[in-house]
Amino acid sequence: MSNPSSSSNELFGYVAEFSSAADLYHAAEKVRDAGFRRWDVHTPYPVHGMDHAMGLGKSWLSALVLGGGISGSLTALLLQFFTQVSLYPTVVQSKPTNLFTIPAFFPVTFELTILLSAFATVGGLFTIIALPRWNHPLFNSPLFSKFSNDGFLLVIEARDPKFHGEKTRELLSEIGAGQIEEVTY
Amino acid sequence: MAGLKDGDDYRDGERFKIPSTLQFACLGVGGAGLLLFFILAMSDRAGAMAYSWLFAVIFFLSLAVGGLFWTMLHHASNSGWGTVVRRLMENLASLIPFMIVLALPILAFPNFRDALWEWFPERKAALADASTYAEQKRDAYIAERQAEIAKAEEAVAAAKKDLADVASPSPGHRLHLERRIAELEEKAAKLAEEDLSEAGATATLVDKHFLDHATLLFNKRGYLNEGFWWVRQIFYFVALSGIALLLRSWSIRLDHDGDPKWFRWMRRWSCGLLPFFATAWTFLVFDWLMGLDYSWFSTMWGVYLFAGAALNSMGLLVILLTALRKAGYLKDVVTLEHYHLMGKLMHAFVIFWAYIAFSQFFLIWYANITEETQFFLMRNTAFWNGYTIAFLVVGHFFLPFVVLLLRKVKLMPMVISGVAAWNLLMHAFDLYWIIAPERGPSLTAHTGNIQMTIPGAWVYDILAFVTVAGIFGFFLLRQLASASLFPCRDPRLDESLNVVN
Repeated sequence: MSNPSSSSNELFGYVAEFSSAADLYHAAEKVRDAGFRRWDVHTPYPVHGMDHAMGLGKSWLSALVLGGGISGSLTALLLQFFTQVSLYPTVVQSKPTNLFTIPAFFPVTFELTILLSAFATVGGLFTIIALPRWNHPLFNSPLFSKFSNDGFLLVIEARDPKFHGEKTRELLSEIGAGQIEEVTY
Repeated sequence: MAGLKDGDDYRDGERFKIPSTLQFACLGVGGAGLLLFFILAMSDRAGAMAYSWLFAVIFFLSLAVGGLFWTMLHHASNSGWGTVVRRLMENLASLIPFMIVLALPILAFPNFRDALWEWFPERKAALADASTYAEQKRDAYIAERQAEIAKAEEAVAAAKKDLADVASPSPGHRLHLERRIAELEEKAAKLAEEDLSEAGATATLVDKHFLDHATLLFNKRGYLNEGFWWVRQIFYFVALSGIALLLRSWSIRLDHDGDPKWFRWMRRWSCGLLPFFATAWTFLVFDWLMGLDYSWFSTMWGVYLFAGAALNSMGLLVILLTALRKAGYLKDVVTLEHYHLMGKLMHAFVIFWAYIAFSQFFLIWYANITEETQFFLMRNTAFWNGYTIAFLVVGHFFLPFVVLLLRKVKLMPMVISGVAAWNLLMHAFDLYWIIAPERGPSLTAHTGNIQMTIPGAWVYDILAFVTVAGIFGFFLLRQLASASLFPCRDPRLDESLNVVN
């Protein structure tokens, strides 16, 4: 099955199909235990507990979001205190110009915290998952297109240090894969 | 995937056996406290102690009401995660009637009630003054008004005579005179409309005097009067207890016969009854807490008290769950996933409470309108200012907010229970902050030498709190034991047992 758009014969990896979510779940546990790093599963719907079966740790996206949130709060507070309290003390509605002006600064602080957290979430997520991109080698695979219909798929990439053409194919059939397809760039 | 739990394995439920020492201790503390409190209150301390009792009752009532909210929300949103803890929510909610009954002494007896809600005595005094005034002025007033009516009628007659006297008026002149007669007749008729019987005149004079001498109470008389007050109290009791007991009884019937119609009923009725729940709780806190100073108002009040109730009843559920699991119950049924979800809801409501509390403060602080600022002026003066910053700003919001951000905290039952206990303590401080600052000024205003605090009153606060806690604990244990600890034949049980988030 060669795709007319593919121009290279360099191996990207294997796509293996499993018959059910449960099979895929157990297969993922075995691939995890075999020590692979560059691999993924694709299913038509979310499978609870799959992150555990795949041995995924906690995403560090939350740390990025926290960083975004803290920078947002600090930016807003510093900007407002610097301009309204220390640089040019502004008396509004006979409110004090000192630490106790802080309630007046809260709406902006809150908004900027939310804004930068949201930016960090979206930007961080896209950076981590390496999006956007024009194309992906997996789209060369006819088998892969089943992921959005009824396919429970496991993909192991060739750039994984543990990857070894024949052995990996054997491993995949051993853990119950049905159809296995080679994907090229 | 592996090892999915099957709801059918749990269809017999799990029964709670009351630890008799604990139950006895609760009963002892509650009973002895009740006796001691009301014996002590039979003195001139009654006024100060009324505030203590209100504080204790509203604290535990808010937790029970929060339980009802979570039950109704669970049904109304058709959620599946919390079925295994829903019975605990229902048990909490079923304590509402006991807590409202505990509030009866301060609602009914004037020596408590008049100290808490000054509009009662002030309205009574204003009305008494007004009726004395009316009695004195009535006869003179009737005579005066009748003279006016007679005068108006004379004017009509005179105008008619004018018309008759003119031999042949021009059309313009005739029209002019006829219009004048019509005007005067109308005026006389209007005057004659007034009820000048003795009762009618008295009522007019009472209203006039009431308006002149207690304008605010006169303008609010449609709401702040004893008859309507009792109608409302009965509505709160019937609405809140009724919904709680109804939902709980259907849930228990479902345990017995597994008929899904109960499940559908609970869902349907929860949606329909939510407005009644919201109205009852909002106006209950208007009457009991905002009414401590009838001249002050805040449109955020109902939501503010609701936010605290929802947050802390979730906290109490977490603590209850941990205690039950320590005692060996619900071990298989409840997982860390449930703790995680409940922790997230707590976190959400920590933020929601702060959002509401800050919005209420912020708008009043910024607008700086006298009749609104009095509430916060009292609470940012001297001792109360430090109290507000330490317990409400830092303790109630910042600390739990930061701690609950951590995922790990929500996955450790003992730690999340500790956070929940801290929140409950802050909730007590929050309610104390609402109630206690009103006590000193209210009780000493008539002496002319206004005191911000009543020395030694905190002893009664603690006594009341411990007493109501004992009674609350006693009934909670009984409710826990009266049915399975989780809805064992609920159609959503499978989903809840295997929940992953």
